[in-house]
Amino acid sequence: MTVIHDMDDKAEPKMRASDVSVFYGDKKAIDDVSIDIPTKFVTAFIGPSGCGKSTFLRTLNRMNDTIPSARVEGQIELDGEDIYSSGMDVVQLRARVGMVFQKPNPFPKSIYENIAYGPKIHGLAESKGELDEIVERSLQRAGLWNEVKDRLGESGTALSGGQQQRLCIARAIAVDPEVILMDEPASALDPIATAKIEELIDDLAGRYAIVIVTHSMQQAARVSQRTAFFHLGKMVEYGPTDQIFTNPLEERTKDYITGRYG
Amino acid sequence: MIALAAASPNTTQGAANRMSPVFLFLLAIGLGLAGWLAGRAKARAFSRDKDAPRIVSRPGYHAWYVAIWVAVPLALFAVFWSILSPILVDQWVPATPAGQSLPTFGFQRQSMLAEARAVAYGQAAGVFNPDAAALVEPFREASRFYTLVGFGFALALAVILGLWAFTRVRPAFTARVKVERAVMGVLLLASLVAILTTFGILASLVFETIRFFGMVSPVDFLFGLSWNPDPMSNPAAPQGDRYGAIPLFWGTIFIGAIIAMIVAIPLGMMSAIYLTQYASSRWRKIIKPALEILAGVPTVVYGYFAALTVAPAIRDAAQAVGIQNASSESALAAGLVMGVMIIPFVSSMADDSIAAVPGSMRDGSLAMGATKSETIKKVLIPAALPGIVGGVMLAVSRAIGETMIVVMAASTAANLTANPLEAMTTVTVQIVALLTGEGSFDHPATLSAFALGFVLFMVTLLLNFIALRVVKRFREAYE
Repeated sequence: MTVIHDMDDKAEPKMRASDVSVFYGDKKAIDDVSIDIPTKFVTAFIGPSGCGKSTFLRTLNRMNDTIPSARVEGQIELDGEDIYSSGMDVVQLRARVGMVFQKPNPFPKSIYENIAYGPKIHGLAESKGELDEIVERSLQRAGLWNEVKDRLGESGTALSGGQQQRLCIARAIAVDPEVILMDEPASALDPIATAKIEELIDDLAGRYAIVIVTHSMQQAARVSQRTAFFHLGKMVEYGPTDQIFTNPLEERTKDYITGRYG
Repeated sequence: MIALAAASPNTTQGAANRMSPVFLFLLAIGLGLAGWLAGRAKARAFSRDKDAPRIVSRPGYHAWYVAIWVAVPLALFAVFWSILSPILVDQWVPATPAGQSLPTFGFQRQSMLAEARAVAYGQAAGVFNPDAAALVEPFREASRFYTLVGFGFALALAVILGLWAFTRVRPAFTARVKVERAVMGVLLLASLVAILTTFGILASLVFETIRFFGMVSPVDFLFGLSWNPDPMSNPAAPQGDRYGAIPLFWGTIFIGAIIAMIVAIPLGMMSAIYLTQYASSRWRKIIKPALEILAGVPTVVYGYFAALTVAPAIRDAAQAVGIQNASSESALAAGLVMGVMIIPFVSSMADDSIAAVPGSMRDGSLAMGATKSETIKKVLIPAALPGIVGGVMLAVSRAIGETMIVVMAASTAANLTANPLEAMTTVTVQIVALLTGEGSFDHPATLSAFALGFVLFMVTLLLNFIALRVVKRFREAYE
């Protein structure tokens, strides 16, 4: 594993994984990965299908807990606090580390209720007025407000695919997370919708730590400042995106970037 | 056997007449086999001939082609003849000299004919009315005649069609395609039987219901508040005030749709939630089939349980808290047990509906930091609701059509009350009571059973129709 420490942020990382391995039953899906995820930047995980990048992403907010056979070894810290320790409240963790999925999955509720869902659960709004404010702010940050402000009562599932995905991003923002995990957020969308999502990721980058898993190397190059290349459950190389794409240190990274396999 | 022997030495002939459809079927099988062998022999002969043109179908298909043409029309004729020949016999007999002496109209004529017929067919030992004895021989004669006619027709039909089919067996003949079509025809016929039977049932129900409404006005029936049919009353007297079915409808709804559902919906839902969301797959594999077995328990067994265990327990409990007039046939007992019976039904429909909600919904909610029960309450159940509602409607339609539990545990007293501890009756209980009673089939008391059955049929049909549409639309939403 090659980690380039030539990074411009000298501050504490937002999240830090140390020697993380993930097992599905007896099968080792992630092998000994260590990575620091900086805040206010976009970190991309790239690699061929089945390399474990999505699995690793899901360990960061313990979504792997929903898979009964999954088991995580090693340590993952959020602001220096071990998220797998017994004292960690998973519900609280997921409020701080939000997630956007590959396929847009708005709830079959109104647009308003989709956004209000998280704030209601976590008691973030004291009054209806405050809730309205959160909904509007979240939709605005997700760049969806102007498109839906006149039809907040309509079902979220009636929106187009790209709008649904931005709704899901707005939903994640609504609980004011510190980290947003995105699992191939644009892979089910057409190029125009994809461009909008990428633009949105750019806008959000200054405010949150964003981790994005993507199949598209162009996308990683466009939106991220850090890139980690995964292969066969291992993290092969991690460094500034420019460097990974122009001058990778590892032969395997180079082969993948230049399209020799994957 | 003694009765038969005593009747007459000719009894066996009467039996022969009733056997004739069976003989015709045996004839169909026998001749069909002959046709099969003949067809195969012919096809084999030309398939061995090296100079023959290219053969389209294997010999077996030619054999089946001939056999089908012999046996199927013959079998259909046997069915047709078994319906037609008794009618022909019944028309023949009054035309004979003995038949001319019958009374022209009414009950006596019918009963004499019926007696003579029974003796002739060997169903009865002898006649009560000596005048009927003279009719026995004409019945036998007619039945012999038509049996012979039937055999003649059948044989001619089979031979003609068989020979025609046999001549068509040639190397270039596409017997395989024809047989394939025949197979489809048979399958189609099988599916039509069920549908046509349903229509037949409905038609007879409608017919009797119309007769009932000729005696009692539909308004009195549907909106009257007092149910008190008396099979022994004079049918000519005005009957309207006896047949107010509202107490029955209320009892049915109260027991089947209210008390039973108060039990079944929460328990069924909770079990479905547990099974889909909490149970490990091993545990689920044990519990789910167990619940489904519960759905297969004969309802009469639930009936025992309701009548012998639950009802007395409820009465005792009610008396213990000072309610002295609690009935031992309370609506509560029947409703509770019916609710338990319906649990697997509700649970399995709710289970399917919740399982049909995409896993991404659940993940989305969990990733927002919702707990499992928040996710279930706020995302999964609302998303599955249409399917669950459809399932509950199907369950209600089953509950209100349920007979055995209420027959055993509910009362026949038609009380119009909202007190679950009192005796109440349901539509199905009344149908059973009225049809198993002493009343004649012309009496409005008996006919009212058909009207009740008709209403029940229409209501359950409507419920099922709506429920299935709701469920279908829900399924489409996630596909």
